[in-house]
Amino acid sequence: MSTQRVVLRICGALCLAAAVPLSAQNIPRRAGPESQKWQAPRTADGQVDIQGYWRQTNNVTTYSLEQGEAHRAVHIKITGQRAATGKPIVDPADGRIPYLPWAQEKFNYLVSVHEGPERVVDLDPVARGFMEGVPRINLQTGFQILQMPNQVVFLYEYGHHYRVVPLDGRPHLDPAIKLWMGDSRAHWEGNTLVVDVTNQNDQTWFDQVGAFHGPDLHVTERWTFTSVDQLDFEATLTEPKVFSRPWVIAMNYSREKEEGYEQYEHAVWEGNKSVELMVRPKAGSDGSKQ
Amino acid sequence: MKSLSTAVAALVMGVAIAVFVVHPLAAPQSGGAMPPASAISRTADGKPDLSGIWQVVNTAAWNIEPHHASKDVPAGQGVVVDGAIPYQSWALGKRNENVKNRATADPESKCYLPGVPRIMFMPYPFQIVQTPKQIAMLYEYVHATRNVYMDSKHPPGPIDWWMGDSRATWDGDTLVVDVVHFNDETWFDRAGNFHSDAMHLVERYTPMSRDHIQYEVTVEDPKVFTRPWKMSMPLYRRMEKQVQVLEYECYAFDGEEFHVTPP
Repeated sequence: MSTQRVVLRICGALCLAAAVPLSAQNIPRRAGPESQKWQAPRTADGQVDIQGYWRQTNNVTTYSLEQGEAHRAVHIKITGQRAATGKPIVDPADGRIPYLPWAQEKFNYLVSVHEGPERVVDLDPVARGFMEGVPRINLQTGFQILQMPNQVVFLYEYGHHYRVVPLDGRPHLDPAIKLWMGDSRAHWEGNTLVVDVTNQNDQTWFDQVGAFHGPDLHVTERWTFTSVDQLDFEATLTEPKVFSRPWVIAMNYSREKEEGYEQYEHAVWEGNKSVELMVRPKAGSDGSKQ
Repeated sequence: MKSLSTAVAALVMGVAIAVFVVHPLAAPQSGGAMPPASAISRTADGKPDLSGIWQVVNTAAWNIEPHHASKDVPAGQGVVVDGAIPYQSWALGKRNENVKNRATADPESKCYLPGVPRIMFMPYPFQIVQTPKQIAMLYEYVHATRNVYMDSKHPPGPIDWWMGDSRATWDGDTLVVDVVHFNDETWFDRAGNFHSDAMHLVERYTPMSRDHIQYEVTVEDPKVFTRPWKMSMPLYRRMEKQVQVLEYECYAFDGEEFHVTPP
């Protein structure tokens, strides 16, 4: 087992930054038209075969999507570790989330209290033990892809998250059904798996500092098989009531080649102490049960 | 039965191609006679295809032993084969204590991963994703997962995993899963039935038709029971058009301890 995996398993989400290889490319590459020109291997039912274990190579963590200097300084203060420097936001060019003014105000507030919020609801939902949502889960840890006729299955090690993505053209779930991980539907465009994600609830954040979304988030993921050991990922995030324009994050993944590699059980909720340790109620308030 | 099963399996292997056209005559399990080989779905490599969305229809989640109805608990004939669970005397006492304290002592009340075999008969669907080397079992309840690896060895222990470590082989048309490396914090049901970290399970998944699997599990735990014992029940395919596994995030509902929405 690599040192990286040991670190991941011992200290979990709060010190992921230390676990990311430092030699990695910090600016994600976006797949271009040349990635459609090679003859990718195929499954028996004719899909592009992207099965296997994958890990991200851009030094991106779930700590802060924007990765501003101020966020990194706070990260060092909290964890004592050098913050990762991967910058996943590739559009807009300034690397900022294009929040509408009201949403920017809320985001600024959440950032300002995230080190030790007074209210439980201002603490990162993942620290509270909840599911990651999409696309955040793709930033969190490595994952395995399994393919069957008419579906692609993502198995993530972190918190035993999984996604079953149908390819059979079925419609999305009724909008009344909200899910932590949303509802995914996909189709292949050449060497690219295009996944449409809807039905996410409004409770997940994109990162630990408070990048939030509303109840109508629409995510389009593009997973491009650029070479036999390389997957390039992009997600376009759209929600006109929260963002002034669609915005894009990107990351690159390479194939995990460790012989006999398997994902291990990663229980998150069981024994979670984050609320006790991180929420700092004002003197005289009733603490975490407000 | 086991020797007959082994002999028949050897015979079937001996006739090679015939396996795919002739009834593979594996020994009947407690669910009854095997179906004709043509009556079940198969994968490209000729193995039974267990993929799909499955769920029990029974009351084992409340109590795996026979029980009459009580408030909010439907009656049930139980899923334990051949009589009562063979507890050691101290363990029967602990089980009875567990019943009294179940409102807080049941790990389900804390929303923990429920372990195996409990996850198999909770009243939520789960999906089997089958590939030749790995079978993933993906559950709606707290998005629990099991990765069942084919023809491979358990990692060396001791390891205390909530869901254990699962390794499988095919015995004719039956998937046989060996599960070890448990912790001692999960129960079998809401009636206080429990095990230790020494539990060893052998599960047998036998497809009986395209739409039901006989599930049988042998429980061995020398710290708690006087002998191995067995449960058996059918798993039924969820037949609704476009049915999919949703989410039951037990610990994430409004009003729960770490509540979701702002006050």
